[in-house]
Amino acid sequence: MDMLLELDHISKIYGDLHAVDDLSLTVPAGQWLAIVGSSGSGKTTLMNMIGCMDTPSRGSVKLEGRKLEDLNAGQLADVRKNLIGLVFQKFYLVPHLTAVENVMVAQYYHSVVDEKQALEALDRVGLKDRAHHLPSQLSGGEQQRVCIARALINDPKLILADEPTGNLDEKNEKIVLDLFRQLHEQGTTIIVVTHDALVASCAEREIMLNHGVLVGEKWNDEAARAAYEAAGGRPASTGAAVEGAQTGETAIGFADPTKAAKTGGE
Amino acid sequence: MTNTGMFFRMLFSAVFRRRSRAMMAVVASLVGAATLFCLAMICIAVPQQMNEEMRAYGANLIVTPTSSTTSADKAGIDEAMVEHTTEMVAAKGSEKHATYRYENVRVNAAPYVMAGVDAAQVKNLNHHWVIDGSWPSDGKVLIGRDIADAIGLKVGSRITIGYRASDNASSSSSSSSSSATSSSNDTNTDADANGSTSSQSQSSSGQPTQDGRVSSDIMDTSGTEFRVAGIVDTGGSEDSIIYATNADVNKLTGVTRGVDVIEYSAGANDLNALVQSINDMTSMHVKAQQVTKITASDTRIITMLQTLFWIVSLVVLVLTLVGVGTTISSIVSQRRNEIGLRKALGASSVAIGTEFYVESAMYGLIGGLVGTAIGYGLAQWLCVAVFERSIGFNWWLGVASVLLAAVVAVVASIPPVHRATRIDPAVVLREE
Repeated sequence: MDMLLELDHISKIYGDLHAVDDLSLTVPAGQWLAIVGSSGSGKTTLMNMIGCMDTPSRGSVKLEGRKLEDLNAGQLADVRKNLIGLVFQKFYLVPHLTAVENVMVAQYYHSVVDEKQALEALDRVGLKDRAHHLPSQLSGGEQQRVCIARALINDPKLILADEPTGNLDEKNEKIVLDLFRQLHEQGTTIIVVTHDALVASCAEREIMLNHGVLVGEKWNDEAARAAYEAAGGRPASTGAAVEGAQTGETAIGFADPTKAAKTGGE
Repeated sequence: MTNTGMFFRMLFSAVFRRRSRAMMAVVASLVGAATLFCLAMICIAVPQQMNEEMRAYGANLIVTPTSSTTSADKAGIDEAMVEHTTEMVAAKGSEKHATYRYENVRVNAAPYVMAGVDAAQVKNLNHHWVIDGSWPSDGKVLIGRDIADAIGLKVGSRITIGYRASDNASSSSSSSSSSATSSSNDTNTDADANGSTSSQSQSSSGQPTQDGRVSSDIMDTSGTEFRVAGIVDTGGSEDSIIYATNADVNKLTGVTRGVDVIEYSAGANDLNALVQSINDMTSMHVKAQQVTKITASDTRIITMLQTLFWIVSLVVLVLTLVGVGTTISSIVSQRRNEIGLRKALGASSVAIGTEFYVESAMYGLIGGLVGTAIGYGLAQWLCVAVFERSIGFNWWLGVASVLLAAVVAVVASIPPVHRATRIDPAVVLREE
C-alpha cells in the first residue's frame, strides 16, 4: 500500500518543551485518521507539521513520497495548495469577501479561478443560496461549510481539519461530519485533529497524544485495520521514554477521556 | 472570471467593503496630499506674486543711449530700437516698460526738466506713484510735488511752459541722461553707472540743480499754456519733473526725436545675462544697467520665502510619511490572520506583497486625487485672501501630487507588508 503520509521519528521542541516527541506514523491514501488528545497535547503542532506550515525539529515528514525538509518555502507553499485542504476551528474566512469569493481565493492561489466550480462546491455543502453573503451574514455552521468548500475546491488528496466542529452546535456538527463521510467515501484522505470523542469515533483510526507523546492507538473500523496491516502498515509509535508511551509494534488501546466526560463516565 | 479579474475583485472588496479602515488610509493620504499640494502651489505662486509686487516699485533695468550716440546726434533711442530692445527683454521673461524723453524747459523763466512719456506705460510701471488728480493727457501735464509747492500750483491750475533750444543745445542729452539717471537714482540705480552719468551731467551743464530747477534766472515767461492734470508725489526725483505726453513735448519743442531712457521691469531670471546681452550688441548703441538694490532685495526676499516654504513642505512630507505609514501599518497588522490564511492556502509572499502594495497605492491615489483638489481649493483661497488674485491649476504639479501620494502610501506600506509576508501561516492555526 502506498503511504500518503509518513512521519519518521518527528519531534518539535521549544526549549525544554517537547510539543511532539519522537512520533512515527504512516497514513495510507483514503484513510480517515483522528488525532485526539486534550488541549496542549501537541495535536495542532503535529497538524501544522503535516500541513507544511511548520517544520519538525527532528525527524522527517514525507508527503506523497517527498521529504518536506528538502523543500524551500515556495515549494512548501506549492505542496500546501496542491495536496492539502485545510479546515480550521475558527473558519478563518476573509471577512470582506463573500462565501463564493472565499472559495475562489483558494482557486486563485492554486491555478485558475472558476466561479461556476466554486458555486458547485458551495452547492455540495448546501450553501448555494448563501453564496453571495459575507461571512458576517452566515452562521457558524455555514461559515464552517464555506471553509470545507474552500478546502475541497482544488480536489486535495489530504484534508487536514483542526477541531472542525469545535465551534458548532450538534446540528451543524452532524452536517460537517456527514460531509467528511462523503469525502471519505470518495477516497479523500482525512486527518482530523479533535478533542471530541464523538468526532474522533467517526474516523477509521485514532491516535492519542498526551503532552506530545503518543499514548495510544485504536481502530474504529476493523476492515480498514486489516487492509492497512495487510498492505504492510504498522502501528504508530514513539521513541519517547515516557511511561505509558506507545513505543513498540503493538497498539495500546485507550478510552476516550473526553467521551467519558461527555457521557458522565458511563 | 480570470485571475486578474479575481485580483481586482479582492482589491475592490478590501477597499469598498472595509470602508472605515480604507477611509483611515485615504484620509491620511488626503491630508498629506492636500497640505503638500497647497504648499507647493504657494511655493510657486508666492515668488511670482512677490516678484510682480516688487517690480511694481519701479524698474529693475534701465536702458540709455550710449555716450557716442548722445554726443553725435542727440537723437535718443528711436522707436524701432525701443521695440527691438523690448523684444530682447521680453524674450527672457515678462516685461513692463516706459520710455522717457527729457527736455529742459522754463516755467516763469525758471528752468525745469520736462519728461515726455506715455502715461499708460508709466502708470503700469510705477504702481507706487501717488497721484493727486490724473495722469497727463494732451494739453495737460503732471507736475512733481516739489514744483507744485514751489510755484503754488494745484490740480486744474494753468502753467505756461517755455522751450528754448539754447537750453538744450549743449547739454540736452547729458542733462536728459542726468535727469533720467537722477530719476532712477532715488530708485536705486546701480551706483557706478549712476555716479559716472551724474558727474558727466554736472560737468557738461556746469549748473548745479536744486529741486530740478537750474539755479540761473533769466526772465522769460513766454511759452505754451498747459493745465495741471495732476501732481505726483513719490518722495524721489520724480517730484521735480514735469510730465507731459510725448505729443505735447514734440509740439512744444518742435522736434520729434527718440527717447532718452527706457525703464524696464523685467521678469528675466538672470538679469545680469540680459544686461550683458544688450550691452554686447554694440550696434544697438544703447547701454543697459541693472537697478541693483531692487533686484537684490527682490531676489533675497523671494529666496527666503521659497526656502521657508520648501522647509515646511519637507517637514509636512516627513509627517505625511509617518502618518500614512502608521495608518497602513495598523491596517496591515489588523489583517495578520488573513495574511496567514492566504499563506496557508498557498499564496507566495510576492503575491501577498503585490496585493497589499496595489491596495496601498489605491488608497494613495484616491487620497491623492481628493487631497490635490482640496489642496488647490486651499491654495486658491489663500491666494485670493492674501494676494487678491486667483491662481491657475498647475497640471504637472497636480499629477505629481497624486503620484507622490500613491508612492508615499506604497513606500509607507513596505515595512508592515514585509513583516506581514513573513508571518508563519501556522499562527492562524496555533490557537488551541
